[in-house]
Amino acid sequence: MKLALLGLRNLARNRRRTTISLAIVGAGTVALLLTAGFIRFSFDGLKEAMIHGGLGHLEVASADALAGRQPGALDRSLRHGLADWLELQAELEALPHVEAAAATLQVMGMAALPDGDPVSFIGLGVEPGRERRMGFTVRLVDGNDLDVAPPAEGDDRALLGRGLADALGAQPGDVVTLLALNADGMLNALDVRVAGVVTTGVADLDTRFLKLHLESARRLLQTDLVSNLVVGLDRTEHTAAAKAAVEAIVAGRPQPLIVTGWQERASFYGQVRNLYLGVFAFLGSIVFVLVVLACSNTLVMAVMERMRELGTLRAIGTTGSQLAVMLLSEALWLGVLGGLIGDLAGLGAIALVNALRLKMPPPPGAVSPIDLQLAYVPEAFAGAVALMVVVLALAALAPIAKAVRLRVVEALDHV
Amino acid sequence: MGTNAAPVLVASGLAKSYRLGGVRVDALRGVDLEVRPGEIVAVAGPSGSGKSTLLNLLGTLDDPDQGRVEVDGVDVARLSERGRTLFRRRRLGFVFQSFNLVPVLSALENVEYPLLLDDVPRRVRLERALAMLAAVGLEGRARHRPDQLSGGERQRVAIARALVHRPRLVLADEPTGNLDSAAAAVVVELLERLVSDLGASVVLASHNPAVIGRARRCVHLRDGRVAADGATEPQP
Repeated sequence: MKLALLGLRNLARNRRRTTISLAIVGAGTVALLLTAGFIRFSFDGLKEAMIHGGLGHLEVASADALAGRQPGALDRSLRHGLADWLELQAELEALPHVEAAAATLQVMGMAALPDGDPVSFIGLGVEPGRERRMGFTVRLVDGNDLDVAPPAEGDDRALLGRGLADALGAQPGDVVTLLALNADGMLNALDVRVAGVVTTGVADLDTRFLKLHLESARRLLQTDLVSNLVVGLDRTEHTAAAKAAVEAIVAGRPQPLIVTGWQERASFYGQVRNLYLGVFAFLGSIVFVLVVLACSNTLVMAVMERMRELGTLRAIGTTGSQLAVMLLSEALWLGVLGGLIGDLAGLGAIALVNALRLKMPPPPGAVSPIDLQLAYVPEAFAGAVALMVVVLALAALAPIAKAVRLRVVEALDHV
Repeated sequence: MGTNAAPVLVASGLAKSYRLGGVRVDALRGVDLEVRPGEIVAVAGPSGSGKSTLLNLLGTLDDPDQGRVEVDGVDVARLSERGRTLFRRRRLGFVFQSFNLVPVLSALENVEYPLLLDDVPRRVRLERALAMLAAVGLEGRARHRPDQLSGGERQRVAIARALVHRPRLVLADEPTGNLDSAAAAVVVELLERLVSDLGASVVLASHNPAVIGRARRCVHLRDGRVAADGATEPQP
């Protein structure tokens, strides 16, 4: 029998109070697990929404185009576009885990209906077939998506952001004239038919957003260059490995290229993530303090009820540090057992919440309500137990100080 | 033990006062006491005469306002708080009126406890604790918890715990106060025999004339002073 085991046995002496303490610790653990599950669910949902909303897992662009700009910038100079990209595209698509490498061409200019006021736009020429292979989704509000096949000359089509369509007064079927500067700095125009109206999920972006087939964009800008290649993978977990493989391919090319991961391009994801983490850290700290206070209270009661016994232990030679070890071990056992009970209850609680298929409001970047499906986060199950051990150690400080400072004579007379 | 041997306990000029409800109470007013090795000294006196206070001071559980306590040649006032704790653990044994056993431990574990504190190897610990339990006649109750033992048995376990580390001095405060006369007789006889076997000395506070009578010497306290100090009448 060691002092630490004596601490475990002491938990059995007042089963009601121990049960309450375990329930408090367990409930705190469940709260942490549900929170961790919700965070993971939210982050995963947001991450995949952004990747499959057009970001892709990797981007290959010329180093000159990215010089001095944010990784996700939409106003890159056409002069620094990718040359000989078809060969590179084929090489990238031969890599394992790569679903497709889609070329995009960024376009900025003015759009106008006949006799209408011009509105500036930020457009993107895309390869709809490859985007679909990568699982990219278009959130159509009205009309139809772009055709996969390159449009014939004179049959160019475009998707307008909802805000842009509203500003133009355009709807599917209307013809809009696009004006943009080509690679030589000359103004060029292209008539496109509105295929559909879409939303990006970001209202501000919708007021400028325009999407057209890569062939249409090349006609408008009169160029063979593209802005970048967006690489889509079968699973987001393969991003790091795929990035290394893509970097190996682009390393020997005459045009200096840079490979950028989705995390670096998704500044919005980073901002939302930090905001959520801040909120959850605040809520977590409240749970932390509540559990510390509640457990400290029950541990103080445990000490008060055992004053005479603690006095006896001191009288027969238990040092203050040995008494502290014994009381601390009681608290740590509570933390470990309560945390493990909380883990089991957390498994059940997550399964229950997921079975209820609760509807959640659209997360940032999404437009439709989603089923709440909390994630099982293995590291949270281990971390919550560890955290509860820390919580209980902190909660034990006050009762330990009280027990160690007690006067033996007074403790022995305690009734 | 010979009476010429150096005293195991020397207390001189012990004074202690308390404040009780705003009133100063002089519990001890200059008590001198010497106990020689092997001696069993009863401290008698009416309630409030200072018996428990004296035992607390002798056991280094409390500090005197005046006076000095020397146990086994050590001036306890010179010891640090931790030093006193270790001193109690190794050289003193305590027997309390209410037994004060740890309720979640078995009889064996309660007896083992002082040795556990000193990191005595488990095998040695068990051997000594079992031997001590056998000495108090409770080897068959080793695995029982205190709530499964009678009052007399609990006090025998407490005596085993007080003696298992072979202390030089045992302090027993009303050790039979919660026992019937038959159990009290057994407990006192055990205490007497075991301390004799181990060469320890005993200072016991008691109201019980039968218990006092078994000690060879009795110190009577009255109003915090030693009213009498002498040999007791042998008990039949």
